Parts: sequence; C-alpha cells; structure tokens
Amino acid sequence: MSAVLAVLMYATPLALAALGETVVQKAGVIHIGIEGTMLAGAFFAMLATLATGSPWVGLGVGVLVGVTLALVSGAFALTLTVDQVVVGTAVNLLALGLTRTLFAMRFGASGELLSVQKVPSWQGLDAVMVVAVLLAVATHGVLFRTSWGLALRAAGEYPQAAEAAGFSVLRLRFAALVFGGAMAGLGGAYLSLGIAGSFADNMTAGRGFLAIAMVTFGRWKPVPVLGACLLLGWLDGLQFTFQAKGVQLPFQLFLALPYVAALLVLAGMGRGAHAPAALAIPFRRTR
Amino acid sequence: MIKLNTFALAVAALALVVGCSAPKEESASGEPKPSEAAPFKVALLTPGPVSDAGWSAMAYRGLKAIEADTGAQVNNQEAGGTQIKDAMRSYARQGYKLVFGHGFEYNEPAIEVAKDFPDTVFVSSSGGQTADNVGAFRFYLEQGFYLAGVMAAKMSKSGVVGMVGGDDVPSIRSTFKAFRAGAIDTNPAIQVKEVFTNSGQDIAKAKQATEKLIEEGADFVIHQANAAAQGVFDACAEKNVYAFGANADQNDNPSGRVIASAVILAEPAFVALAKKVKEGGYKGGIELMGMDIGAIDFVVNPAMKTVIPPDVLTLVAEIQAQIKDGRRTVPKDEF
Repeated sequence: MSAVLAVLMYATPLALAALGETVVQKAGVIHIGIEGTMLAGAFFAMLATLATGSPWVGLGVGVLVGVTLALVSGAFALTLTVDQVVVGTAVNLLALGLTRTLFAMRFGASGELLSVQKVPSWQGLDAVMVVAVLLAVATHGVLFRTSWGLALRAAGEYPQAAEAAGFSVLRLRFAALVFGGAMAGLGGAYLSLGIAGSFADNMTAGRGFLAIAMVTFGRWKPVPVLGACLLLGWLDGLQFTFQAKGVQLPFQLFLALPYVAALLVLAGMGRGAHAPAALAIPFRRTR
Repeated sequence: MIKLNTFALAVAALALVVGCSAPKEESASGEPKPSEAAPFKVALLTPGPVSDAGWSAMAYRGLKAIEADTGAQVNNQEAGGTQIKDAMRSYARQGYKLVFGHGFEYNEPAIEVAKDFPDTVFVSSSGGQTADNVGAFRFYLEQGFYLAGVMAAKMSKSGVVGMVGGDDVPSIRSTFKAFRAGAIDTNPAIQVKEVFTNSGQDIAKAKQATEKLIEEGADFVIHQANAAAQGVFDACAEKNVYAFGANADQNDNPSGRVIASAVILAEPAFVALAKKVKEGGYKGGIELMGMDIGAIDFVVNPAMKTVIPPDVLTLVAEIQAQIKDGRRTVPKDEF
C-alpha cells in the first residue's frame, strides 16, 4: 500500500499540471508555459510557507501565482492573439529568471539547502494527493458530461460553432487557461511543500514539458492522463531500483520513455480520441 | 490600433524576458576600489548557477574570498560548451588578470585562448594541459569521500551503503569510486550501491532515488546532488538512516541525519592563487589540493559523536592522519 502511495505522491505534481493542461488543450489552447508556472508556484509557495509557517497558505499562494500567470498569458495569447508557443516560452523564461534572481537575493548567491514545513500526511497519504485523484474524475465528468464541457470542447474543435451557439470562445478559453494555471501552480507548490520540503533553482526540471507529453499520452482524457502520470511515476521508481541493484541499463532510456510513448500515441492515433482540431489556432471574432 | 497595441506589448514582454534571463553578470565589484591605475581583476566561469549550494557555490565563495583578501575586482558568469571561449576572450580583453574556469572542461579552451592573451592567467579546476599562463588545480575531494566510506562500512548494520549522484559527470564518478574504495578497504563484504538522478536541481528525484537505495538496504547514504541534496537528507530522516554531507560542511542540516561531511575548503586555495597571479609569480602547472594543505577535510558532526562508537572515531582519525602525511593514497580518476 505504501508503495502505491509513494507512486501517487511522486506523480502528483505532474498529474496536477497535466490535468490542467488537458482542459486547456481541450479548449483549443496549447500552453507550454506550465513549466515556468510550476516553478514560480513552487518558489512562491515555499516563500509563503517560510513566512507564515503554514503549508496550506503556501499551497494557496501557489494556486494564486498560477492563476496570475495564466491571466497574463491569456492577455497575450487570447486577447491579443499572439502566438501561443511564444507566449508560453516567455512565461517559462520569465519564471526561471525571476525565481533564480529572487532566490539569490533572499538566500544568498551561493544558495542554501532550505527546509520548510511540509504538507501533513497520514500514512503517506495527504490532502493534495486525494484532490489530484478526485480532480481527475471531476474534470473528466465536467468535460464529457456537462453542456459547459461540451461548449469548452467545441471551443477547441470548432470555435465558430461554440460562438454561434451563444458561447464566448474567449471566455471559455480564458476559463480553461485559468484552471490550467491554478493546477500547474498547485502542482509546483506540492513539489516544494508536499515532496521536497525545500526549494532549489529550476527544481521542476522539465516536469511541465513532461506534463504536455502526458496529455498526448493520455489522449486528452483526464482519467487516462492521470493513469499515464502514475505509470511514469512507477517507471521512475523502478529505474532507481534497477540502478541500485546494479542492473546495467542506461537511465537515459527511461528518461526518454514518456516522450516515446507520447510519440507512439501520436503516430498510432486514428481510432478514439484525437487532438483538438483548433489546438493552438488563435480565435478572432471579427475577421 | 490593435496591431500597434500587440506590437507594443510584445516588445515590452520581450524586454522583460530578456532582462530576466540574460546571464547574470554579478558586478559584485560595485564600488571600484581607490587603488592603482589598473585594478587587479579576477573572473570566474562556472558550469551552473552559483546558487547550487555545492560545486559552483564553492568556487563562488573562493571568488568572494579573493575579493575580500586582495581587493580585486571580481566578476562571474555561467558559461558552458561553445560559450566558454567567448567568455574567456571577453574577460581577457577587458583586462582581467586571472580567469578561473570551474571544471575540467575549461582546460582545453584555456590553452587555445591563452595564446592570444599572454598577460592573463587561465586556471581550471582539473584538466591535464598546461602552458606558461595556463594551469589547473584539482581538489582532492576523493580523500573526504574515502573517509566517509570507511566510516559507513565500519558502522553499517545492514552491510549495504549507498551513493546518490545528480549529474553523471567524471568528477562525481571519481568521488564515488573513492567512497567505494574506502568502504571495501574497511569491510570487503560491504555492498556499495549507487543511483544517479541526472539532475543536481531536482529535489524530488533525489528523494525518490534515496528512498529506493534505502529500500535496497542502505543504512548510510552519501550524495553528490548539489542543490537537490535536501531530498537525500529528507529521505534519510524519514527512513531513519544516516547521511553524509558533501562539498560543504552540511552537518547542521535541519534533517538532523548528517553524521559527517566531506568538505572542500576552497577559499585559501583561491586566495593563494590570486596572490601569486597578482604578484606576477604564476607559472603554469597542475596542483593537487588535498588534506595535506588543508583544502579538503572530513568533519564528523559533533552532535553525532554520541552515536559513533569510539573505535570508529579512532579508526577514521588514524586513516585521516595517514592520508594527510601521504602514507595512504586515495584512488582518483584523471579527467
């Protein structure tokens, strides 16, 4: 049981970010800024926890940071229809530079091994892990069982139809982006407060990009996306066990696995789920 | 109208991004010292951010010591791969007298660049090539790791000890070999296991890797994980096993599980080098910085002395003395 919970714990930051990104992409937006969003969430959550002594405040701050960055991204990518990949890259660079600078200002240029109050857990299970699982089911339900979910998916498949049906594509996409930002911020905050109890420069180490691969791997469906993240968390642990046992396998092989899996899904697509047709295409109401 | 707005905002965003991501040229030299006409200037190039609480941070402390001790103007930046030669040239052109590259990968570019700048001395951490104004010094951290291996093997109840590495690089591999040698020399039946996470920044991975080592039986864990080391210590605290600090003295880590640290004391070495260069007495060469000159130390955590059997302390002290006066040679790789 504890082994299962450990897999869930290590997969939770990735799963939260990937679930958020699933909704974002379903609405027709590709947001690659979640890597930076996670990092900023991790950093400010750590700062808030240090200041208040409460990891719950830290998690809240992580969510707020995620929402803020999503609103900024949305202003550029949705309102001003700037290329979404460019906006996402800007967010990533901004977060990396900002957290590094502030970290050095606050804790000294040579860094410090921080130790902050962690999210309390019971027998290896904590509230955020439960929330991650519940949210996977909930977003799945909302996306595929409600009319609002239908409208959101329409915004990602054929936005003109959603607009004609009386929905504002801009508003739908903004809502999705904000949800995605909140989830990535929470995921980052959980990384520093739930798992590490610490912060280091660039500690997200590519999890945001991995989350995007997981969305593809899980075929844009929240519950399979969660499954993909759990599989990856399990593989990670297995990889370390192999190394510890002295099994001579290059670990780069394991690092490449999730991307290979995502590629295979892309290559083998056809039946069942497919990428949202209007993904990454800006929507302008007036032509 | 909208187009204009878009453009303005995009430019603003770009400026913001560029401003934040440009390599930090820390002008620690803020106020120029009221000294000679041409101030003595020292530059440091590191492979990673100096905030890594490990490898690069150690060199940065050395640079700050040079600044404090010799009144030099100092500057540092991250430079890897193809950036190395450019960075070296631009420092040399600006009149820097000493350019230090913190890694073996700076040795070869130094040889090439140094030909064009005979007035600048280029020194790298490790590396095998020298010229009149090019040299290397190498920290013999293996000596500290060897002693950690001795202590771990002597005290381990499970007969298994472990090592967690961040980036898989030759310098880290070499210290791990020394830890293994120390353990096996002490107890030939000991099992030494190692895991690499491929990142010196990913705390979660370091923690997960450490947990897996502990699951495989390790009850003593040493690390080379730089800024991610807190993950190693955290896992050791949760599973109640002992950890060793590395690079810096990490004995007072809040985890309370660090039993001893293998330490590099870079400051004296850096200051001595800078003084030599300043006085114009530098001759290219390769220097080994070890326990004999006080550049490496193995520091037992005073708060842990109650849990360490006296015979272990005696053995470690004895071998430390042997290493210091050269009676025992610790294995190290050349890279």
